[in-house]
Amino acid sequence: MLGCLNENHTIQGRGGFPSLDDRLSNEKNAPAEIEAVRKGFETRGYICNAHIATSIFLAERLQKPLLVEGPPGVGKTELAKATAELVGKPLIRLQCYEGLDEAKALYEWKYGKQLLYTQVLKEKLGDLMAGANGLKESMTRLHDFDDTFFSEEFLEPRPLLKALWQPGGAVLLIDEIDKSDDEFEAFLLELLSDYQISVPELGTIKARTTPIVFLTSNNTREIGDALKRRCLHLYIPFPDTDLEQRIIRSRVPEVEEELRRQLVAFVQGLRALDLKKLPAVSETIDWARTLVLLHARELDADLVRNTLNVLLKFQDDIDNVDGEINALVTKAVQAR
Amino acid sequence: MTEVLGDFIRALRSADVRVSTSESIDAGRVVGLVGLDDRMTLRDALAQVLAKSEDEKAAFEETFDAFFAFDQFKSRPPAANDDRADAAENAEAEGGEGEDGSPQQSGSPSAPGSGGMGGEPGEGGEPSPAADLASLLERGDQAELQMALAEGARQAQLNRIRLFTQRGMFTRRIMELMGLDGLNEEIERRERDGNVAGAEQLAEAREGLRGQVRDYVEKQLEIFTANSGRQLREEVLAQVRLSNIDRSDMKIMRELVRKMAKRLIALHSRRKKVARRGVLDIRRTIRANIEFDGLMFHTVWKRTKIDRPKVMAVCDVSGSVAQVARFLLMFLYSLQEVLPGVRSFAFSGRLGETTALFEREKLEEALVETLREHGGGSTDYGQALMDFEEIALGDIDHRTTVLILGDARSNYGDPRGDILKKIHARARRVVWLNPEPRTMWNSGDSEMRKLQPYCDKAVTCASLKDLERVVSELLRSAV
Repeated sequence: MLGCLNENHTIQGRGGFPSLDDRLSNEKNAPAEIEAVRKGFETRGYICNAHIATSIFLAERLQKPLLVEGPPGVGKTELAKATAELVGKPLIRLQCYEGLDEAKALYEWKYGKQLLYTQVLKEKLGDLMAGANGLKESMTRLHDFDDTFFSEEFLEPRPLLKALWQPGGAVLLIDEIDKSDDEFEAFLLELLSDYQISVPELGTIKARTTPIVFLTSNNTREIGDALKRRCLHLYIPFPDTDLEQRIIRSRVPEVEEELRRQLVAFVQGLRALDLKKLPAVSETIDWARTLVLLHARELDADLVRNTLNVLLKFQDDIDNVDGEINALVTKAVQAR
Repeated sequence: MTEVLGDFIRALRSADVRVSTSESIDAGRVVGLVGLDDRMTLRDALAQVLAKSEDEKAAFEETFDAFFAFDQFKSRPPAANDDRADAAENAEAEGGEGEDGSPQQSGSPSAPGSGGMGGEPGEGGEPSPAADLASLLERGDQAELQMALAEGARQAQLNRIRLFTQRGMFTRRIMELMGLDGLNEEIERRERDGNVAGAEQLAEAREGLRGQVRDYVEKQLEIFTANSGRQLREEVLAQVRLSNIDRSDMKIMRELVRKMAKRLIALHSRRKKVARRGVLDIRRTIRANIEFDGLMFHTVWKRTKIDRPKVMAVCDVSGSVAQVARFLLMFLYSLQEVLPGVRSFAFSGRLGETTALFEREKLEEALVETLREHGGGSTDYGQALMDFEEIALGDIDHRTTVLILGDARSNYGDPRGDILKKIHARARRVVWLNPEPRTMWNSGDSEMRKLQPYCDKAVTCASLKDLERVVSELLRSAV
């Protein structure tokens, strides 16, 4: 799988637009490759549909960042992790929050070392200037002197710069971009479109190998158009019954088939209700693990009531669902 | 292919999906990458570069399915028998070159969608010779007919169709481009030769084709103009006086209000930073002064952010302004969804807060509930302001903007300008929106004269455009 992705990488890398030959060969195997991506994920425990696999395939081929949106807990961050595993590159993660600035995201100067450097410089200055006639010659010597005060040696890389500097390329995950400020979003634009960043004192730093970039958003605020334009956009909704069953089978293999079917049906039923926070896949997985710990073989109303707090995180929701539990459990048990 | 893609993107735009030029280029690359063979893959892939929000994804899928549906040809039985196979073969040898390569791609009848698109690589070729059409019809090769039709549509620039009155014109032009003249000649020739049966058969096939072309044109019209009618309607509605709007237009109106609120929020939600004096940012100060050997020449101060403005909106929902109030309420509701710190109040006689209601209920219910609870009474501005003072005056501070919508017709009661004065003293701004034109102010029981002095601004707000302008200004200057 890895080989296959890399090989295609070089095809894309030869020129901006794939030539007709490439296009023809691509046409033939694109669906096959997408399927290969999906299988690759599956062996690594990330179960997804063709839709998600397609987006990973495109992001890799077009070398474009992938903006992943969807309700919390559907596996947006997991997708980036699984991709890093799939392509065998390190995952570098940047968690966004309000007030995140470039000093924390991009780079910082090593002040301590820079201060020490100036001290050392002062001592060396005497040797350097020895025998210089007049101020003018001193200045010339000073100019000739190799200045490393602002150089990469004193640069402390933060996640974004780290990702660009990674020799073999990396998977960069910019998590919850919606939590950051507008300015930070604007600041990301250069990185996302050209895979380069500007350090005022040094100039432009280009990526050694183009990283695969993921951005995730929970939609707490609208992401700017400029950013969206530069990204591919993937929306991950809650999985359907079949997909969720497969996810549970992969993640919690200890669950017996009958219980798995019932618990997934129950969670799907819950999502149809009007709740503050709908249970996501991560909650389903937690719940499945809980039920395994309790040695449950099938659902019943009491069991559900006692473990409902694993699925629902608001007391209001739990109270609201309480009356419906019997009906939901019956439906889940009977569903085929 | 590029042209089909261009048309598709145009169709998307008319369906309210925003597609930029760079995204169109990406779409081209995507098509090059995934190819045209697998319809679902293509759809998935294009969705990722062209539709960038949940709403847009839905619109995209609808448009994709409509645009790449070529199934109108599938159901038609073959129109001709094999008895003229030799004639058909001759024609094929002649005309096959024009559509080089395309029949192979569309050959499999199981993939009508990709077939239709696959036809485009042949677009550079010569238009099919007119004589072709007759043999095409006789052979009844639907895939090839479909190609010819798509090619004709392309040459006729069907994607420019805008009005339903153009249907006939386009149908005729496409028929002509497909080789109608040649077909007619062929029919005449057969009549002359005494081959009446053959001529009739061909004439029948011609009428069948005409029907197909008309269907095709209508479908395209639908795709390309899906939204333009609504867009026009929206433009008109935005200008019309709010009190004159039909109930039937309410739905569009609601959508429009929501859009507007969203646009305003996007415009004004940027927060501004201001320097807060007194707190030194050590880290950045050291960084700024490192070149001076750590001596502090420059000082860098910590910055803090000023939050978005607090808005309190007071809305008259009595009979005289009910129509307009509806929209302001709608607008407030939308505003409250996206902007934290909006509090809304409604009154006719007594005043009550509706913030919680708006948070809890859907727009429809919230509106009905508000009008039921607070509407209908006789207006008393004095009482309303007294209630407002009691409920909310304590929460008004120098960051609060107070927005009042009403006609200031207080049924000859004391409007209590003194309370408004108090509010004005505490608030950052007091803005009065009056649905009546300025000339009507102060006539009859209108008390604008007494209230206006305590407003930073009093403006007429009668249409949605007015409302947008006022609120936009408010948000801009209030930050």
